[in-house]
Amino acid sequence: MSTASGPIYEVGDLVIDLYAGNVSVRAVDGVSFAIHPGETVAIVGESGSGKTVMTLGPLGLLPEGVTVDIRGRAQSGGQDLLTLGPRRLSELRGRSFGVVFQDPISALNPMKRVGPQLAAQARRLTGATGREARQAALDLLKRTGIPDPDDRYFRYPHEMSGGMLQRVMIALALAGKPKVLIADEPTTALDATVQAQILELIRQLQREDGIAVLLITHDIGVVSRVADRVIVLYAGRIAEEGPAFEVLTAPIHPYTIGLLDSVPDLRKSIGEPRQGIPGVPPDQSMLVPGCRFAERCPKVEPRCRTHRPPLDQVRGRAVVQRVACPPQLRALREMADA
Amino acid sequence: MTELLKSLRTWPWHIVAPVLLFVAVAVLAPWLTPYDPAAQDYMSILQGPSWAHWLGTDYLGRDLLSRIIGGARVSLTAMSIVLLAALILGVVVGSLAGYIGGRFEVVMISAIDIFLALPSLVIALALIGIMGPGYWSMIVALTLAWWANYARMSRAVVVAELRQPYIEAARIMGANHLHIFSRHILPSVLALVVVYASADAGALVLAIATLSFLGLGVEPPTPEWGQMLVDGMGYLEDNPALVILPGLALTLVVVSFNLLGEAFALSKVPRPARGLTLSRRRRDRAKEEAARAQVEARP
Repeated sequence: MSTASGPIYEVGDLVIDLYAGNVSVRAVDGVSFAIHPGETVAIVGESGSGKTVMTLGPLGLLPEGVTVDIRGRAQSGGQDLLTLGPRRLSELRGRSFGVVFQDPISALNPMKRVGPQLAAQARRLTGATGREARQAALDLLKRTGIPDPDDRYFRYPHEMSGGMLQRVMIALALAGKPKVLIADEPTTALDATVQAQILELIRQLQREDGIAVLLITHDIGVVSRVADRVIVLYAGRIAEEGPAFEVLTAPIHPYTIGLLDSVPDLRKSIGEPRQGIPGVPPDQSMLVPGCRFAERCPKVEPRCRTHRPPLDQVRGRAVVQRVACPPQLRALREMADA
Repeated sequence: MTELLKSLRTWPWHIVAPVLLFVAVAVLAPWLTPYDPAAQDYMSILQGPSWAHWLGTDYLGRDLLSRIIGGARVSLTAMSIVLLAALILGVVVGSLAGYIGGRFEVVMISAIDIFLALPSLVIALALIGIMGPGYWSMIVALTLAWWANYARMSRAVVVAELRQPYIEAARIMGANHLHIFSRHILPSVLALVVVYASADAGALVLAIATLSFLGLGVEPPTPEWGQMLVDGMGYLEDNPALVILPGLALTLVVVSFNLLGEAFALSKVPRPARGLTLSRRRRDRAKEEAARAQVEARP
């Protein structure tokens, strides 16, 4: 890991508004994060918390059928992505950023053999000619651990299993030798055993190339397995951010605590009721002052409902861990003082 | 019901308005027409526009405005009857074919294909040839010429829906065929077929005018646009409005129905907010943001 060099992708004060039909949604509400070369950052949050929009939005990959207003900063390699036109963004996608989607079956063209799809990508991104592109595609298939690549090259997507197709997707994402690999729930559609293989593959490729991996997921198991750092997102804001070990073993934000408590535990007996967080995520169509989690929070204080909690660093820990919950941070300080 | 009201508010009124206007004119025709559309007046033949006859008169001295308004009523009535009949026939035959399947389906599909293979006007002409010209034979002929498209669409939707897991789930829970069909399949069939019908209405108005133009549909003296075109053709040099105005009415109605169909089809797809709505929403958002900042800025 070479975190000494600057971040490869940095987002600051990002605000994303979506307008469609008769709803306005504040999908991302002032989020800042950075990812460095060689690092794996997991972005965790429930459905609709803004994980995907926040990560892919600055790259111009946005949902269909909505008008998008995007403000803030998003920098990569000295360029501000938000000021780039669609053409320049399109050049960056694939070359600087590779994206692996959740469902490989719908992300691949069912009418084309996988090899030529891969070769076409290599041709577009690296300017390789026909034979070079084909060789590049075969190498990519080999690198992603697909057995018998010479045969698989001529297979159609429907002839391959979900795990194999996800490997092809990863190969596609790597075709342009990107610096950042964005994996949007790469294992959600896969079997548990295949999930482990795919995660291991991502790890291995990262070690070889030193690329940064942004992993979007709601699976805590996946996070604990591969992530260096975790960003916990709630209703379009960062609740907690820090090294995976600290966040997963000593969470501070009440939402993170609740989230981890709701992961089923094999050691508990079946009869014991599963923990959960009472209530539902807030309606993101309205902008209300205060903490978004206040309605469901067991530690809520009056000030939580009127003031946005700043994302403050936890003092007294050896690592950089930031939490958007003043009451919890205060409690922690008082405990340390006592 | 509240859902319906809510959707009414977001309706593209500017697109629905022409069709509503046409329907309103057709419904209110008896009160709107200044003269009896069939009344002849030999004292004022082939007149141009005047205060007595706003749009002039035809070769029998009939008031053109009254005939155009009356024509709207005749067209709309005939079109509604044919469309409804073709829709019911098509949905019933197509759904049965799709739901029952097997040999029955093969036979029905073949019948539908035969009807689709022949141009609908040819079918209508042949049927009128057998039944003889007249209003009701035109209605029957057009219905039989029109139902096949709806049958084909219904069958396709039924076959696709039958494979859905929720149909299987309903079956496992003991739902009978009638329940499955009417509660789970029919709504999807109607959703598609009604959208298609709204766009098809224009084509049907045109077909009615075509048959009447050929003298096979609505019989004189009932006012009908296609028939008015024929009547006016001989007097094109004396009073071109006799041809132009019914033709224009026909064109506008067909276009407005096509727009309605288009709007229906598009309303199923989520659309980005645009134009005035968008700037209003952005303003609202900025206001909310300012209000929030104000609250949060307090110590």
